[in-house]
Amino acid sequence: MSDLHPPPIAPHVTDDELSAYLDAELAAPARQQLAAHLSVCPRCADRLSAFADLAADLGRLPSVAPEVDLTGVILGRLPPIVSPSRPTFWAGWRALLPVGIGATASVALGLALGAALFGTGAALPGVAAMQVFDPLPPGSLCLGVDSCYTRHANLTGVIR
Amino acid sequence: MDAKSDDAARDRALALAARGGDRQAFASLVRRHQARLFNFLLRLLGRREVAMDLTQDTFLKAWSALPDWQPAARFSTWLFQIGRNAAFDVLRRQQRIDFVSYDAGNPADEPGDSAPSPEQQYADRQRLRLLERALAALPAEQREILLLRELEDMSYAELAVTLGINEGTVKSRLARARAAALLHYRDYTGEHRDE
Ligand SMILES: [Zn+2]
Repeated sequence: MSDLHPPPIAPHVTDDELSAYLDAELAAPARQQLAAHLSVCPRCADRLSAFADLAADLGRLPSVAPEVDLTGVILGRLPPIVSPSRPTFWAGWRALLPVGIGATASVALGLALGAALFGTGAALPGVAAMQVFDPLPPGSLCLGVDSCYTRHANLTGVIR
Repeated sequence: MDAKSDDAARDRALALAARGGDRQAFASLVRRHQARLFNFLLRLLGRREVAMDLTQDTFLKAWSALPDWQPAARFSTWLFQIGRNAAFDVLRRQQRIDFVSYDAGNPADEPGDSAPSPEQQYADRQRLRLLERALAALPAEQREILLLRELEDMSYAELAVTLGINEGTVKSRLARARAAALLHYRDYTGEHRDE
C-alpha cells in the first residue's frame, strides 16, 4: 500500500492522530506537523476526509425521542427524601446510641427504604407505563418485527 | 460553545436545587435530558423498551446519587455516565443483545431540510440506514464512544470521565471505532471495491 506513494511522505499519520486532529484534540506542534503532512499526502488527506464524512453522517442521524414525556412516570417513582443533610443527621443520632442499637436502627431503616423503593407498589407503575406507552408500531421502528418482540420479557427481567 | 456552557450552568442550578430535595427542579432536569439520554441508549442498545426502562432507571439512580454529585462536574456528563453504566450492566448480564435496527424515521423529522427532491430524500435515507447498520455491527464500546462524541459532542476529557478511561484510551478507542465503522459502512455501500 505505502509504496503507491513516494518515500519522502512516509511515515504516514496514524488513525489515532488523524482522528484526534479531526476532533481538534491535538496540541499545537503536533497539529501543525500533521497539517503540513496532509498538504502533501493525498493518502492521509483522503483518510481524514473519510473520517470527517463519517462524523458528518453520524451527526445527521435523526434523534429518536421517547413517545411520551417520562417526567410524570419518573417523578411518581422517586423515593420520598433526598437531602445531603440526612446522612449527617442519622450519623449524629447513631453516635448517641449504643453500637448494637444504632446498627439495628440502620438495618431497619434500610429495610423500610428498600421496601418503599422496590416493593411492588413502586415497581408496577413503571411496567404498566411500558405496556401502555411503548407499543412499537411494526414497520416504523424495527426492521424485523419478530426480533422486536421475542426477547422483550427476557430483557425486562434482566434489568429489573 | 456559549450555549453549551449556558446549558451547563442552568443544569448546575437545577441539580443543586434537586439535591436539596426540590422535585420540580429534578423534573426540569428530566425534561431537559430525557430525549438525548433515550436517543443515546436506544442507539447504543437498539431496543426501544430497554432504552425506555433504562432512561427511567438512570434518572431514578441520579436522584438517589445526587448527594454525591459534585457541582464541579457537568451534570449531563454525570447523567450519561450513570446511563452508560446501567446499559453495560445489561449488556454484561445479557452477554450480547441482538441489536435491532430501527427506522431512521421520516425525512420530515430531520431538521434543516430545505425540501430535497424525492430521489435525494430516498438516497439520504438509504445512506443513513446503512450507517445505522454499520453502527449496529460495531462492538458496544466502539458504538458508545462514537455516539457520545458525534451526537453528544463530548470532548476527550468528558469522554474520559464518562467512560472511566484515560484520554489516551479515548483517543485510540475513538480512532478504532471510526476505522471499524468506515469498514462496515463501505462494505454495505460497496465503496471498498473501488480501492
Ligand atoms: Zn500520509
